[in-house]
Amino acid sequence: MWKYSEQLMDHFMNPRNVGVLESPDGHAEVGSPICGDAMTLDIAVDDSDRISEIRFRTFGCAGAIASASALTEMAKGKTLDEALAIKNRQIADFLGGMPEEKYHCSVMGHEALHAAVADFRRKSAQVAEAASRLAASRPDAGLSLKKARPGKAVFVGGSPDRRLLISELSKALSESLGWPVEVELEQE
Amino acid sequence: MKVYLDNNATTALAPEVLDAMLPYLREQYGNPSSFHTFGSSVMPALEAARESVAALLGAADASGVYFTSGGTESDNWSLRGAVSLHESRRSIVTSAVEHPAILETAKEMEREGYPLRVVNVTGDGLLDMDGLGSALDASVAVVSIMAANNETGVLMPLSEVAEAAHSSGALFHTDAVQAVGKVPMRIDADEIDMLSLSAHKFHGPKGVGALYIRAGLKLPPLIHGGHQERGRRAGTYNAAGIIGMGRAAEIALQRMGIEREQVGRLRARLEQGILSSCPGAMIVAPAAPRLPNTANILFRGVESEAILTLLDLRGISASSGSACSTGSKDPSHVLLAMNVDRNCANSAIRFSLSRYTTDAEIDYVLEVLPQVIARLRSISPFA
Repeated sequence: MWKYSEQLMDHFMNPRNVGVLESPDGHAEVGSPICGDAMTLDIAVDDSDRISEIRFRTFGCAGAIASASALTEMAKGKTLDEALAIKNRQIADFLGGMPEEKYHCSVMGHEALHAAVADFRRKSAQVAEAASRLAASRPDAGLSLKKARPGKAVFVGGSPDRRLLISELSKALSESLGWPVEVELEQE
Repeated sequence: MKVYLDNNATTALAPEVLDAMLPYLREQYGNPSSFHTFGSSVMPALEAARESVAALLGAADASGVYFTSGGTESDNWSLRGAVSLHESRRSIVTSAVEHPAILETAKEMEREGYPLRVVNVTGDGLLDMDGLGSALDASVAVVSIMAANNETGVLMPLSEVAEAAHSSGALFHTDAVQAVGKVPMRIDADEIDMLSLSAHKFHGPKGVGALYIRAGLKLPPLIHGGHQERGRRAGTYNAAGIIGMGRAAEIALQRMGIEREQVGRLRARLEQGILSSCPGAMIVAPAAPRLPNTANILFRGVESEAILTLLDLRGISASSGSACSTGSKDPSHVLLAMNVDRNCANSAIRFSLSRYTTDAEIDYVLEVLPQVIARLRSISPFA
């Protein structure tokens, strides 16, 4: 048996933030072909770009499970940039240290977080692009895009029948992107 | 509760064996090779041990038994010796599922210029006999095929391999470290030229084993020095160890029938219990002839080291073929050779039983294991 710290064993025995999010803002599936390990990570991101919810699943050893659990605890509530700055060394410290040979086990969690944030950013950009195109195609509505994220587009402006417009826009965006996108209209 | 199910790694020293050894660690500490009576009086006990080991192997000629420090030395000796007998025969043929004591030795020798051919196995872990056939020619010095695989327990067809090796003029060596003491060996009937064994795998002490060398085969020594073992294996006799090995061989032979049945019954209980309580579990090589004590189970979707860690916390010792240790985790070369995919190979657990395994221990494992698997499955992306 490896010599694991109490904290590490606690995170292995009682991993935090296990599971999946129903409609995540960012999703990642990563694996280490050498290790044969695999991991999924879901994040929800709030309007101020903070990770509000995070869930993981891991096929890996005790070190891999504990470091994934620790990473989710550390990343939760942080802005995306702050979360991306978390180092493997900090994960190990958070767990009260881990055997040198086990350091590589924490790499996968790190990789998953980067991939999930990249997924969030890619999807946000896709929504922004589709929403801008949509606004341009409806000059009558007087819309301009204020904010785009994977599940939501926020426009400023809008014609008299706002409720109808919101549902029309949402339908058009969801269809063009292939996933549900909620629409909000803000007053100018 | 403490449950030891890693008997293919090592076994408990039998109390009878310890009793047989103690006098030679206490008062009878003389060197068996000495001139004086105090030392030389130990020699008959060594010769008796040689007879016991020969009997366990099914060898009529006990003088073919050479005492060594264990299985690894015996394996090294057999390969190194075999390639030095004829200048035109320098190649080694072995299987993809051998223990590192053979595989790594053969690979090292390959680097030194002795050609190596590795024969594959079937999905059941049995030697590909056609592959063996095409690996054989007049350049082959020795065919080394294990008697029983340490990870899966699969038994290789020794007499067929011997026949194939001999028909091409090669010697046949078998690493029988896992088989000796668990299943009957028929070294004479199967026409085995050399056989490696290790005492601690059948309730003898660690650090002692033997290489059996067929009469007439002039295998040169690996270890040079004094005249022990008729000049073929130098080094002061590990008297207590050898005597312990002899006693362990005697007991293993005496009880072989009963133990095979008893251990086989417990293994069947364990396997059936796991299959019915752990969804996704799969037995490795269920249809192949196997050692009665070895169960290798794939717990698909759950990683083996995580399983071992949780079992260890509950007092259960088992093992896996891989170790996530030095930056890369290599799945078991045995399972990969059997075409088990990487993730599945990383979910393998080996349980190996012994004569001391009890029903209560199997009950305990069957109580704990499903909880462990369910817990890990609940956090696995493959669930």
